[in-house]
Amino acid sequence: MSGEVILEIRGLNKHFGPTYANKNIDFTLRRGEVHGLIGENGSGKSTLLSQIAGLYRSDSGEMQVNGKTYDPHSPLDANAHGISMVMQELGVIGSLPTGVNVFLGRTGRFAKGGIVDLREMNRAAAAVFEKWGLNMPPLNKLTENMIIEDRKMIELARALSIDPEILLLDEVTQSLSLNNRRNLYDLIARYKDMNRSVIVITHDIEEMIRITDTITVLRDGEVVGQVNSAETDPDQIRMMMVGRRISGDYYRDDKTADCGGEAVLSVRDLSIPGELEDVSFDVHAGEILGFCGLSDAGIHSVGKAVFGLISGSGTVHFLPTDVNITSAPQALANHIGYIPKDRDREALMIHASIRDNSVLPSVNELRAAMGLLPPGKVSGMAESIRRRFSVKSTGIMQSMNALSGGNKQKVNLGRWLAKDLRLLILDCPTRGVDVGVKAAIYALMKEAKKNGIAMILISDELTEVLGMADRLLVMKDGRITKEIRRDEDFTEQSVIGVMI
Amino acid sequence: MKNKRKLPKIRMSELVPFIAFIVLLAFFSIGTKGKMLSSYSLKMLVEQSILTIISGCGVLFVVAQGSIDLTVGVNVALSGVIAMHVAQSTGIGWLMVPAALLIGLLLGLLNGFIVSKCHVPSFTLSIAMLIGVRGIVNYIQTIIGVEYVPASMQFITSSGFRIAAFAVIAVVMAYLFEFTKIGRYSRAIGENETTARYVGVPVDRMKILVFALSGLTAGFGALFSMATVGGTTQTMGVFLEMKVAMSVFFGGVLVTGGSSAKFYKIILGALSITIIVYGLSLMGMSDSHISQSVEGGLLLLILFITLLTNRRQKARKEPDVPAAGETEQA
Amino acid sequence: MPTTANDSRTGRARGLKNWQFYLIFAGVIVLVLLLFHLISGGGFLEWSNIKGIISRSAYPSFIAWGFCFLFACGYTDMSIGGVVVLGSFASCIFGNWYGLPGVILGGLLVGLCLIFINFLIFTYSGIPSWIAGISLAMIYEALAFLLKISRSTKALISTSLAKEYRVLGQLPWCLILLLAGLVVVYYLYNRTTVGLNIRALGGNRDVAEKLGINVKKTLLCVGFISGILVGVACVLQQSYAGQTTVKTGLTSINMIFQPLAIYLLAQIIRERINIVICVPICAFILYSIFNLLTMLGVPSGTLQEACLGAFIILFGIIGSRRVKGVVK
Repeated sequence: MSGEVILEIRGLNKHFGPTYANKNIDFTLRRGEVHGLIGENGSGKSTLLSQIAGLYRSDSGEMQVNGKTYDPHSPLDANAHGISMVMQELGVIGSLPTGVNVFLGRTGRFAKGGIVDLREMNRAAAAVFEKWGLNMPPLNKLTENMIIEDRKMIELARALSIDPEILLLDEVTQSLSLNNRRNLYDLIARYKDMNRSVIVITHDIEEMIRITDTITVLRDGEVVGQVNSAETDPDQIRMMMVGRRISGDYYRDDKTADCGGEAVLSVRDLSIPGELEDVSFDVHAGEILGFCGLSDAGIHSVGKAVFGLISGSGTVHFLPTDVNITSAPQALANHIGYIPKDRDREALMIHASIRDNSVLPSVNELRAAMGLLPPGKVSGMAESIRRRFSVKSTGIMQSMNALSGGNKQKVNLGRWLAKDLRLLILDCPTRGVDVGVKAAIYALMKEAKKNGIAMILISDELTEVLGMADRLLVMKDGRITKEIRRDEDFTEQSVIGVMI
Repeated sequence: MKNKRKLPKIRMSELVPFIAFIVLLAFFSIGTKGKMLSSYSLKMLVEQSILTIISGCGVLFVVAQGSIDLTVGVNVALSGVIAMHVAQSTGIGWLMVPAALLIGLLLGLLNGFIVSKCHVPSFTLSIAMLIGVRGIVNYIQTIIGVEYVPASMQFITSSGFRIAAFAVIAVVMAYLFEFTKIGRYSRAIGENETTARYVGVPVDRMKILVFALSGLTAGFGALFSMATVGGTTQTMGVFLEMKVAMSVFFGGVLVTGGSSAKFYKIILGALSITIIVYGLSLMGMSDSHISQSVEGGLLLLILFITLLTNRRQKARKEPDVPAAGETEQA
Repeated sequence: MPTTANDSRTGRARGLKNWQFYLIFAGVIVLVLLLFHLISGGGFLEWSNIKGIISRSAYPSFIAWGFCFLFACGYTDMSIGGVVVLGSFASCIFGNWYGLPGVILGGLLVGLCLIFINFLIFTYSGIPSWIAGISLAMIYEALAFLLKISRSTKALISTSLAKEYRVLGQLPWCLILLLAGLVVVYYLYNRTTVGLNIRALGGNRDVAEKLGINVKKTLLCVGFISGILVGVACVLQQSYAGQTTVKTGLTSINMIFQPLAIYLLAQIIRERINIVICVPICAFILYSIFNLLTMLGVPSGTLQEACLGAFIILFGIIGSRRVKGVVK
């Protein structure tokens, strides 16, 4: 770190309607510094970054780059100042190929007499991927059917194609598998060596501490503190984020592997071309079976297959009713629940009411004579879910999208727990959810465990599976590579080796 | 802000179609110098809306799912022409009823199958059916011509019978839509099909079911059409699908369906459209082009206003902002 | 682990190489044409017949190209039929007054203006394009009808366009126009910043905006480009037919079925052959099929329409084979 200040922000304010997203923010970034921004959902981190990147105009306050006033009108304007960002939401155009996506908006560079030279553009795109050691998806293929990870790589390439002095990364690591994450860490390290700067947002506190030099903590739109990464620890960060001490009773504190109950699910030789290969395992009542692996390891496919959403050869056998699960409606009828990874797009109906979302998995149970769904019973169930899980809302008719991420997840989880389940599949249940709700979800899982519900916990966060599971199945390239029990060598080291 | 209000919130967007209805009624009452409000006129309004509402009941389910079924008109024509021919050629009058319903149902099932299993967008399919089936109907009619309701079945042409039958069918469909699984699942599919699938809703089955239902109500529509006119015609069902679509959207249902789909909306919309058409004819302006341009213009206006008021309810897309009025307590 | 159809490193498609596909495709077409010739008892491949097919393919090709841009933007414009009717009237009226320049300018200007208006409504009203289009179709049809019965314009419209001004509708001019259109549209769609931006906007408007694409300017361009294309179609239609009939009761939508079928067919092959090139090829294929049906005595207006409907469904099914995700 050269110590020279490259970006200076004073008294920055931004509101959306009556809410303050950023209040009086002071922020300094030096050359060669990797600076982390952390805070709960709603703390204002993305808004801050978006203003630096030219996506929003600030309401008041001042920004300076290299000592000169900086007030970008658009992302392209920010690019001209050597600043580029990889956004949190997906930012590629599906109907255009990779090469075009990297240079979209700046295709004029390759235009001769109005006609764009596609070959030249693709060459330049390939050069960017290679220079920074990123995995490159096929250049001429439309991005619409690519996996999230490939699309993130393209966005990264685009941000890097302008050779920025300041690189902004908003929750990028979340969508990446471990090996792509490592490539990103290497990239960030190289940036440091080149005396350039990076601002990183991530929810993963341990990761944040590992890869950054400094961390700024935001809470309710304001800066509450700034620490040196080398001198801090996760508990301190958590406390700053939330304002009170979170007790260590976060995950499970026992070391017993409780899988002695009767087997509830038996998967044998499950193979789905391109996703899973010869996967076999059992799940027992009251057991939390963890799955971890890289993004393409197939862990998410396991969840889908058990719920009947996808199928291949082999069997998914549900023992209590002695049936093979082949479709989702059938799984539902057999007291199996599924919480998908993408909350807003796969789990919830965002523009519908809390009531409609809460009762959806239980429609069959609510039916009375002649197919009637008594409105009283429907509302009653929704209201009881809302109360039991302390969903912060104005009533069951409130629209889902008015809720914060944590409360949405409470509805998501609560409506399944309100059913009489034998098996619950949870895919990244605490993703994008703040610390307080995270603790609440783990508590709910412990309670479900006591009630004899079998659970499959799929997660990208190693610490989470290590913290909660009785047994852990590690997957790689669609196969199960290792099984470890809670009462054995249950640490990150024993897992990472077999994951990558 | 929002917390202050204790009464259930009535959204502005829900009120727009009611306001439009009242405005139209007022406008045409004045314009026809009161003739619009006579008991005869009001009866005509109901009668002329029957066909649209009956045929539209089924379409409502389809729209709730976020799809569209514009095959109603040609379905009515096909079912009617074939059913009448069966009745006339066999001499058994009452066969007309099951025949119409069966043909309507079969065409609906075909639509449902193509949309759900072959993944063809419902709009493209509707357009294709519109032209294809109409071609078939025209061809059949060049062979058998126009036919009349057989004497044994003449009782269906009476106004009283039609209104009674309409009431029964409408009540049953309303019940199905608002209080049973089909309605709830259909709205869920319209809100977010992926979510519905992931919660275990049998989506493909539901899609085929609602298109079949839509075909069935078109079968009923065929019977009503022939009951009103006394037989088949060369222009049976022409423009009906547009009337139905207009009624659904005029009533305030969003194109994406979902929770915005409610049964009363199709009744409201159909009555509104009928007021325009009937009102214009009362005012002596029944030329098709005037009627059509007015309908077209008003439809645009209504859609625009409904969307405008609906947008205010949807959350803005800024990241990381807590809901207004709520702060997350960790 | 996930297998893609393309080699990760070079991005080239596995399976059939492109040139192999082109060869097979061309071969199939030749075979089919020969087959038609046989079935029709030898009348199909006569030059006068082929000439007719080409002339008939011209105007729908331009509309289908207009669709390429409109659909790329996510818009389905159902009012194009109504626009073509009005545009053809303009061609007719101005053509009879001012001769050939009148034909061209009349059609172009009216087509351009109306499509532009449609565009403004699609973009700024927020109403889904397909239903806004239907409403607009109703209005345009009513307008055309009004022109037909109003005393002042009645006579102007019923006069058909004089023969010497209908040059553009026949070979060689319509073929030249077709080829010129092909070149221009190809470059516009694939190789210009404008074209790429248009497709970006259609793919995901929010993302495109965030990347700094000027949305308003791009949309204006779409309106302009598709307006010109429809305008040319108006000119061709009037030149080809000499007279335009007024449509009411939304029958103007029938006028777009054929270009729509062409577009859908082109969509199926678009993975291998660029969609812009597919359009005139598919137009030719479609009209060859109709030509054959007519030769075989299948009555037009009834069963030919039925066939058209069936084709659209068939092409739609084939084209949707590999569609994943939600289809409404």
